[in-house]
Amino acid sequence: MLSDIAFSSIRIATPLIFAALGGLYTFQAGILNIALDGFMIVGAFAAVSAAYATGSLTVGILAGVISSIALAAVLALFNLRFRAHIFIAGIAVTFLAYGLTALLLKSVLGQDGVFASPDIPVFPPIRIPLLADAPVLGPLLSGHTLLVYFAYLAVPCVWWTLYRTRWGLRVRMIGEAEDAALSAGVPVERIKFETMVISGLFCGLAGAYLSLGYVSLFARQMNDERGLIALAAIFFAKGRPFATTAVALLFGVATALAVRLPEVTGAAPQLLQMIPYVVTVLALVVVGWRAKRAGGQVGWRFET
Amino acid sequence: MSAASNARPAQQALASRVIRALAGPLFAVALSFVIGGLLVLALGRNPLDVYGVLLTGAFSGWPNLSVTLQMMTPLLFTGLAVAIAFRSGIWNIGGEGQMLMGALCAGIVGYAAPLPDILMLPACILAALIGGAAWAAIPAVLRVFLGVNELVICLMLNPIALLLTGYISARVLKAPGPTNKLPDVLDSARLANFTLYSQLNTGIFIALGCCFLLAVFNVATVRGFEWKLIGLNARFANYGGVRIRANVIAIMLVSGAIAGLAGAEQVLGVYGAYYDNFSPGYGFDGIAVAMLANSNPIGVILSSFLFGALNSGSSVLQMQLGVSKYLVQVLQFLVVLILAAQFTFSWRGRRRVLAAASPAVSVPTENRAATEV
Repeated sequence: MLSDIAFSSIRIATPLIFAALGGLYTFQAGILNIALDGFMIVGAFAAVSAAYATGSLTVGILAGVISSIALAAVLALFNLRFRAHIFIAGIAVTFLAYGLTALLLKSVLGQDGVFASPDIPVFPPIRIPLLADAPVLGPLLSGHTLLVYFAYLAVPCVWWTLYRTRWGLRVRMIGEAEDAALSAGVPVERIKFETMVISGLFCGLAGAYLSLGYVSLFARQMNDERGLIALAAIFFAKGRPFATTAVALLFGVATALAVRLPEVTGAAPQLLQMIPYVVTVLALVVVGWRAKRAGGQVGWRFET
Repeated sequence: MSAASNARPAQQALASRVIRALAGPLFAVALSFVIGGLLVLALGRNPLDVYGVLLTGAFSGWPNLSVTLQMMTPLLFTGLAVAIAFRSGIWNIGGEGQMLMGALCAGIVGYAAPLPDILMLPACILAALIGGAAWAAIPAVLRVFLGVNELVICLMLNPIALLLTGYISARVLKAPGPTNKLPDVLDSARLANFTLYSQLNTGIFIALGCCFLLAVFNVATVRGFEWKLIGLNARFANYGGVRIRANVIAIMLVSGAIAGLAGAEQVLGVYGAYYDNFSPGYGFDGIAVAMLANSNPIGVILSSFLFGALNSGSSVLQMQLGVSKYLVQVLQFLVVLILAAQFTFSWRGRRRVLAAASPAVSVPTENRAATEV
């Protein structure tokens, strides 16, 4: 039972981690990117339909990533070039993506709510040779699919790009003081665009994992606001890669419990599903409280 | 003679102001329909057929028109709620959650309050106002006193409201039976239906009344002017003696209360009980409505009529042509995306800014939000 929940937590947290990794690049660059859900659903749809049409998982993942990046580029274009407010443009892009995937689900795949088919290829579970025989960790860590390992292995890479490269330094500089970065000659617009594209890349992977790895189907709004939970994890961990991943994993555990615990104890799943959002609100309150106590710059401070 | 020649320039000035105000939204709607038409074409359908069915499905005959008006009613409330906040540069995107809380409060009072019949309806509406306002008070207070970004809080409070109302309607106060809902509200608490063809109810008059009331409030009262000033330039407003904190809280409370009314209309007028997860996203559609209306209460009437028509026509579209009703969602949020952009284009030799959200863009914290919290 317990190892069962732990195993499924790792699986459930995977799309959260992908989306959170994507979102933390834009977060670090000072962009409040709330369109993670939109990127994800487009990625999920493109991945499942391409994989269904060609029978190839590689093509499916590529299609998911490319279409997600394309949507991210649209958002970046509207935000950076046309000066659309990031929040309004983000909401528009998200609901556009929901509507578009539902429309295409009906028009292209001919289904109203759910598309499933035995012709959708599935990822084989990977058995890690030595680890699989280890007593506790074996059944926990071995036997996942490719994208799960990819998500966890991507975390140190993300950390490296943000904290050990010149590009990463510039991203963080833009996030902390955009004007200073601009006057120091940092190509702010270009780097912001690049972070948005990377957001699209990771959310595309999250979407592809959802529709090809986690389950083998596409359903309308199947991402179930995972982008929002990922965003919550980012805010909670202030966008630091390892901490964000850990929080996303914890939120994954909460979600796994929300599925399993009611079956056993009869507890209400809603209260468990609420945890990520409530915890994030509380964290933001604590951060605001501390900033106020420290007398730092808070929002509008010009009225006393 | 002289009076007539004086009146003409005044009329012309008014007409040109109206035309200018309508140009941007009409351009956005037209452009989104063109893009949507290309999409329909790519899917192998004739766009003229599709738009034709959409139009007749929304307007032909009283049965269809009454569905359009029914679909329009919640959008009037949520659009107005968002518009009030947008006009002052406050991004209240928590309309969905505020509506749910308003609906829940109206639903509880509607079946449980031991009141004389004549007081039931006012009590339910009051409960919805309080529920919506209370849910909006959370981001407002956090924003004003702790400087926490109201966008993020609103964003998180939406799913919290959905889960909380889901918990209450599925576990705590669940009516007997298979569906997750509260017990039916008493007949004395219902908003009267006046047609057999749809669930159109007297709530639409409350909604229209709110729009006109706020239109007058905006242009004819000092407080209305102050709220606009906060949106144009909060720092300047503060310098001019406007109390920002108190006003921002007031704006959020009014905005949330009106969003709560949307829930009351749904519960007391359409469903007759609080049903779990009843909203297909009226709170978010309200953002689209307010954007298209450029945060003008009278504009909210026009734009929610358009969106209500699209929503009601889309069901007919799906039944008759088999084209997914979500085409309409694509059209609606294309409009938002186009309006959010500030295209600069030259017109009559001058560079003009087609800025739908221009009053609101001057919030000091925009785009820095992520680093601020």
